[in-house]
Amino acid sequence: MDQTTLQVYAVLFVFATVLLVYTARYFQRRGRQRPLRRMAAVERIGEWTNQSIEANRPLHLALGSTAVGEDRTAVALAEAEFFHHIIERADASDVSPIITTSAASSVPLGQDTVWRAWEGDAYLSRVQWYPPDIAYAAAVTAALKTDDPAAHVLAGGFGPELALMLDSADRRGQGSLAVSDRLEGQAVAYAMADECLIGEELFAAAGYATDDGRAQADAIVLDVWRALLIMGMTIVLMLEVAKRMPWLNWAVVLSVSAVLAVFGLIIYRRR
Amino acid sequence: MGRGQRFGTALSAFVAFVIGIITALSLLLGDNPALFGNQPGSDQLAGLLAVPADVLLRLVVIVLALSIVIGIANLLYVHVGRLSRGKLTSAVVLVSFGFTIYWYVARQGDASLLEAVQVPIESALAALLALSLLHGGSRVLSKRADIWGLLFVAVAVVVLLASLPLAELAPVQAWRDWLMRVPVGAGARALLLGIALGTVVTGLRALLGQDRSVRG
Amino acid sequence: MDEEFNWLEYSESIEAAAEESEVVSDRRGLRRFLPRRPSLPSLPRLARPRLPSLGLPSFRRSASAPDQPSATDLLGGQAERPLDDLDERLRALRDRSALASQPPPPAHQALYDVDEILTGPELQSKPGGVISAGALSRAQQQQVEMLRDIVGGPGETGGSGGRSLRSLSAFSLSAVPRLLGTALLLLAVALPFVSSDYAEGELPPSVFPEDRHSPRTMYDLLDNLTRDDYVLVAFEYGPTAAGELDLLADLLLRHIFAQRAKPVIVSSNPIAIARARNIIRGINRSQPIAEAQLLHGEDYFVLRYLPGGALGLRELNENFADIARFSAKGLPTGLNFASLEEMTEIVLIAESAEDVRNWVEQVVSADEALRLLVATGYAAQPLAQAYADSMDKVTGPLVGIRDAFTYGEKLQTTFGGLVPVEAPVEPEVELVDANVASESQAEFPPATVSPVAVVPATALPQPTATAPPTVTPPPTATPLPTDTPVPTATEATILVVEVTSERNVNIRLGPTTVHEIVGLGYKGDMFVVIGSNGDGSWYNILLPGGVEAWIAAFLVEERVVTATEFAGARDSASTGGPAERAVLQVDFGFRLGKTGPRFYQAQPPATGDRPALALSRDRSGEISRLQAMTLGTLAAVLLIVFGNTIYAVRGLLRWRDGRGR
Repeated sequence: MDQTTLQVYAVLFVFATVLLVYTARYFQRRGRQRPLRRMAAVERIGEWTNQSIEANRPLHLALGSTAVGEDRTAVALAEAEFFHHIIERADASDVSPIITTSAASSVPLGQDTVWRAWEGDAYLSRVQWYPPDIAYAAAVTAALKTDDPAAHVLAGGFGPELALMLDSADRRGQGSLAVSDRLEGQAVAYAMADECLIGEELFAAAGYATDDGRAQADAIVLDVWRALLIMGMTIVLMLEVAKRMPWLNWAVVLSVSAVLAVFGLIIYRRR
Repeated sequence: MGRGQRFGTALSAFVAFVIGIITALSLLLGDNPALFGNQPGSDQLAGLLAVPADVLLRLVVIVLALSIVIGIANLLYVHVGRLSRGKLTSAVVLVSFGFTIYWYVARQGDASLLEAVQVPIESALAALLALSLLHGGSRVLSKRADIWGLLFVAVAVVVLLASLPLAELAPVQAWRDWLMRVPVGAGARALLLGIALGTVVTGLRALLGQDRSVRG
Repeated sequence: MDEEFNWLEYSESIEAAAEESEVVSDRRGLRRFLPRRPSLPSLPRLARPRLPSLGLPSFRRSASAPDQPSATDLLGGQAERPLDDLDERLRALRDRSALASQPPPPAHQALYDVDEILTGPELQSKPGGVISAGALSRAQQQQVEMLRDIVGGPGETGGSGGRSLRSLSAFSLSAVPRLLGTALLLLAVALPFVSSDYAEGELPPSVFPEDRHSPRTMYDLLDNLTRDDYVLVAFEYGPTAAGELDLLADLLLRHIFAQRAKPVIVSSNPIAIARARNIIRGINRSQPIAEAQLLHGEDYFVLRYLPGGALGLRELNENFADIARFSAKGLPTGLNFASLEEMTEIVLIAESAEDVRNWVEQVVSADEALRLLVATGYAAQPLAQAYADSMDKVTGPLVGIRDAFTYGEKLQTTFGGLVPVEAPVEPEVELVDANVASESQAEFPPATVSPVAVVPATALPQPTATAPPTVTPPPTATPLPTDTPVPTATEATILVVEVTSERNVNIRLGPTTVHEIVGLGYKGDMFVVIGSNGDGSWYNILLPGGVEAWIAAFLVEERVVTATEFAGARDSASTGGPAERAVLQVDFGFRLGKTGPRFYQAQPPATGDRPALALSRDRSGEISRLQAMTLGTLAAVLLIVFGNTIYAVRGLLRWRDGRGR
């Protein structure tokens, strides 16, 4: 693919996404809300916010190494949106959540998120920065010992150091939700967190933590793109396979598709 | 919301929108003379189109480098506050911070503290991390008692076994290679693709001035 | 929790919240779920006896708050929907709370109403209530326990003595597996350092196996460097990964230095820059000759750190000329590059998969001419491998300590610890046994060390300084077959071997590659043959000075020459050719077992350029480290399998119980 084609595709993709976002938002606002698929991990958050309120224990929200201004700015913004809705739900508690980060440029974002979502007094010290990676994990583990958080929502850039935080949460009986945009951290999150989101669920999570139509619309757009991507990949795969099978022709493909469609319809009706 | 505040919000959304669109177009379309028909002068035009992104990104890099100041200010603020509430561990943080700065300045960039203090501490933490990981790994099925948890453990065991330098484990090494190449590779790519998709959608929200940080 | 929990404040804050919920209609967050006051009468009347005010502590009075419903009540009241509407989790919670609300045995009622307050039905058994005792937080439960202790209520084991006993047993129960696991792992890791009896598994091979062509290519690419080449070395790891990656970084740098190429070090991690500097300092420390110290600005360059993660790397690609102009300390480097393409190779030493991805995507993908040689830790291996498999411009990865070991061995066999100095050198080179000065002298008494000529037979006159001490007896040298063709001539002939390999050839103390390297032969060098090993794969040769050594047969060719020819070769050597090469020994190698490195060093030439490298390092601990890794991994596998089996069995039992019910 030459550069021009690539650029044209990129521009088309951007415009298609804009179109999709606005269409989805329009429908969500109009009350014809499409229900989101279930995401069990986010459902636990309600339980934790309740604990936070009842016991006056803060929630710990961690951004990890996701920095504003770098190539992962979008990840940071998605997390901030997610945290915004969590903080709103924990609003009745007397202690505001604590946001920690290991990217200095994310400190203002964290501060902004607390100030916007939290109605009570929010102090500057509710956002804490520590130097990256393992030092961050160790410092957070130690510093939060006295705050005794009700639960940890660790969403952002984490490497294997995530294990230190999750292990300490586990030992102290605190709930944990983890997701990382780094592969090492994601594996640790899956193995050790009480609840774990995977990959792009991080971006959709905000839509689940609120009934705000806009956030939900974004989650739907993600779903649509992913479905299109899967379909595209499947078609390419099938074409590649078809090339290697001389007996395959359109008639066979059509008849198999027709049979599959009928079966699908029957199964769908049964349900 | 007062009128002034509303104006401020609209202004910040507008600035975000303009800067976002300029950067995106400049990044997407810059540096490709073919877009302008490869005629004389299209080189300059393409180069010119790439300039805004170049300048803005350089600015961002400088701002990011400076943001460490925010981090340090935050660290000091938080720990001075904690110290005033009687948390003595914060005193350790502050004293060692001051000492490191003093050492680095007084010894003209001598990095021996790094070797003598930071490397041992971080290595010890890494060892602790290994224990945490091991402990977590041995309890996967207590958190996820299903087929996926079982699969996770099985793959972890295969990969660990394959890393052992024992000739008897040659078949396991073959499995590991296949696992790494096919399912793990596919999974990793799928995760990265998903994250890229999410980045685009969220990025567009910021680009269009729709993000909470600018729309208020 | 830091401050002592204050029931009074707690209940007041909840009450305030309840009042606010009446006044503010568009509350956000959870408060919007709180019912308005008018709906309260529909709640079942709380059957809570009024507390008499006979000297009860204030927290108890406020805890009971007899007139006001608590937040829990309020929250409980809002869930008046049919049971079927609740999801599975909530129903489970409800069942649990119903179980927990069994009335406590009256015998425990030391004070007449405490139990009701603490575990009473209003807290736990509200039909359909969302919040129940099951959802009491740990801190709340602790408060309840505290209250029980104070008033002597029904704890599970009675008074405070019982409680401490219980907490002790709870501690030991939860901590025992963790402690046992830790102890097992530590034991496994420590054993190889204590005794060599616990050596498990094979050592990494001394060459990269055929099927791993990528690391082989990586080695060869670095081996092709010349003194005009600059190599961009990206240090992307912090102190955490030092244990895993320091050795690789060190060897890669030594290889580059040995080729006289100049590494240009960059990083997007400021700590990694300091780390790189320290590694080079370490190389310099192992360099006993002051004139041969590596100099910043001449032999290597450390550039400023690249802020901004992926954006910083993008900038590196686009503005390399600017970035290369200044060092990490802000001083001019004198480097004038137009672009990254002027770097002969780009070597990445990365800790995380993300760094590998960033370097591939932001730096090398953008430019056709660039290629990346990758060295990583185990965590980043899968992604690095995927890139190497799918992209031609990505080579590698070298992974962790095991590959470092192999790389070191390969360096050792290539260089044999000797790096020729290209500058003209006085032929009178004094050989110094570096071990004599080293701490390990006791371990390697000079009697067993043979400071044989590190010098090929034709190359240099006999060493003058050290007289060869007794040589370790060579392992079973069988006499040469008698039918070796020996020309019948008037002049005495000598059976020699001539080095035919293009590469420098190792000369060793014994007929295996495990034996000590004592010297190096160059193409065209001749050595007198005195025997061979059983299968003829090694020649027993005589070095100048009468020292016996061994050389691999496939690297040399057997020849019969006259004494004059042999001497002539030596003469011609002394007037040019190989004799011009002084030798410096660089010890890259690992030593199997605990013998430690043994090396010889030529003294610096009196005149001429700075000598090239004389690098050595003690790596006797590496074997133990590798074995510790092996045993540690075994222990980890055991623990993971054992732990998960227990949880799997427990899960199965529960599942069966659930079905049985």
